[in-house]
Amino acid sequence: MEFATYKSDVWGREVIRGVSWDLLWLVVVAAFLIIAGHAIYEAAQKRGDKPSSDGARVTRHEMIDRVSHWLMAASMIALLITGIFPIIGIEFAWLELHWIAGILLTVIVVLHILRSILAKKLADMWISGGDLKEPFEESQKPGKYSLAQKSMHASVTVLTALVIVSGILMFMVIDSPWWGRSNLLTEASLGWVFLIHGLSTLALVGVICMHIYFALRPEKLFYTRSMIKGWISKEELDANHDTERWTPDETS
Amino acid sequence: MASFDVMPDVQLYQPTELDDALNLAEKFGDSGWLVGGGQDTYGWLKDRAKNPQAMIELNGIEALHGIRETDDGIEIGAITNLREIIRDERITRDYSLLSDAAGRVASPQIRNVGTLGGNLSQDTRCWYYRRGLDCYRAGGNTCYADGPESMNREHAVLGASRCVAVSPSDTATALVALEAIMIATSVDGVREIPAEDFFVGPDTHITQMTALDANEVLTAVRIPSKWAGKRFYFEKVADRDVWDFALVSVAVAMSMDGDTISDSRFVCGGVACVPHRLTQVENAARGKSLSDESADAVAALASQGTKPLNYNHFKLPLMENLVRRAMRG
Repeated sequence: MEFATYKSDVWGREVIRGVSWDLLWLVVVAAFLIIAGHAIYEAAQKRGDKPSSDGARVTRHEMIDRVSHWLMAASMIALLITGIFPIIGIEFAWLELHWIAGILLTVIVVLHILRSILAKKLADMWISGGDLKEPFEESQKPGKYSLAQKSMHASVTVLTALVIVSGILMFMVIDSPWWGRSNLLTEASLGWVFLIHGLSTLALVGVICMHIYFALRPEKLFYTRSMIKGWISKEELDANHDTERWTPDETS
Repeated sequence: MASFDVMPDVQLYQPTELDDALNLAEKFGDSGWLVGGGQDTYGWLKDRAKNPQAMIELNGIEALHGIRETDDGIEIGAITNLREIIRDERITRDYSLLSDAAGRVASPQIRNVGTLGGNLSQDTRCWYYRRGLDCYRAGGNTCYADGPESMNREHAVLGASRCVAVSPSDTATALVALEAIMIATSVDGVREIPAEDFFVGPDTHITQMTALDANEVLTAVRIPSKWAGKRFYFEKVADRDVWDFALVSVAVAMSMDGDTISDSRFVCGGVACVPHRLTQVENAARGKSLSDESADAVAALASQGTKPLNYNHFKLPLMENLVRRAMRG
């Protein structure tokens, strides 16, 4: 199995064409095995009762953040469908849909960054030394976000930045409503851009599989509910978070 | 580009039964190459720009030859050569649009061996692609014909999506105008594909010109009687009068109600990756008579929506003028 594919450029020199899409099946199989392994491991664990969702509630995600998350998810799914389906043989006119979804994702990411800088605490998402103790000390509870959640966010941040930057470069050399096709990039450079776009896409497929799996796990389902309705119960807060590190507002 | 005087090392199969050909097409899939008259094939092989593992020559299959009457029109075997089509009495009488188009294909020598199926299924003539460059159509990540310095005089002015190649087939435009049905056969069965859907653009199938799957054989073309004996117009503009591909062509079928056009199909060749229906012209022509005034009124619609490249703006007035000439009466 090759990591990249190669071609001859117009001068006959070998240059990178892009990622080898055979890796897609490797990623899918690896994600499936990890998910299956984790599910079996969790099934074998004895867990106490889940904290109740009744009673007092606290705000976990404001409406604007929830809308931003689901718009980002929708555009990401649209990008994966329009980008990957034609590769696996489901052919349709995908290109315009792909770059439209790409523009939507870029705009949402820019707004998310601005909001994170101007209206939120960036430190909430940084991985600190305290976070690293979580897996080893049961008494160490997370603040608003666990180490796993912060790691997931960091991965998605890096990979999304890579697909957006490479996607913009690819978009700039094709016809669009605003500009014509150009030879902005040499064939060798274009190959690297395609490779980075493809590799980060493959990594995102794996990361998104994990994200969806953990979002649907029974013991994590209250986080998914909070991304829809905005709140978690006080009992869920006390059971899963260190209220000295995260003190959310009560809500109705 | 390297060129060779001998055939490459390739297996040659010459089935005499359709079932054998279908099994071979199934077996080899993308690495097989169907050959009719070979007029598109041998250039590819000579230049080593395509390297199939096996060639499946269809000429020996009797069922793929000949022109037959059906309950609703005629059926032409895909291996029927273009000369037979030009000389067939039923076609010249009822579907002269097709015989006119077939009569403008290449040269008499090529028409003697070139088949209808081959003319419809032939690959594009984009010279960057045929030179063997790794362009989008060849599975690459760029188009050499659509750049600021590219030579794209003969390329698309419509329907381009990354690739700007055009369909080179003269008979394709006529068959789209005649609402023909393509019969695609494989070991899985028979698919009837309307001519308009048979040709596919780069937005969906950037490495293919037709909707044929790798294991399918175009076995026949059915032309319904809907347009039999109607008024037809075919004109092809090329740099040379013979042995050349269309810069722009137009195939028109018109149903007349007295002096006025009650229904029509205008199809342009050489302007897009597929034969391009001029639906705005068709709508505007309905109810009009054939005259210079009508021609002037609808001609400008022919080039609407076009997006010419650096060197093919000349195709726009050509499209308009060909429609004008079809409408002059």
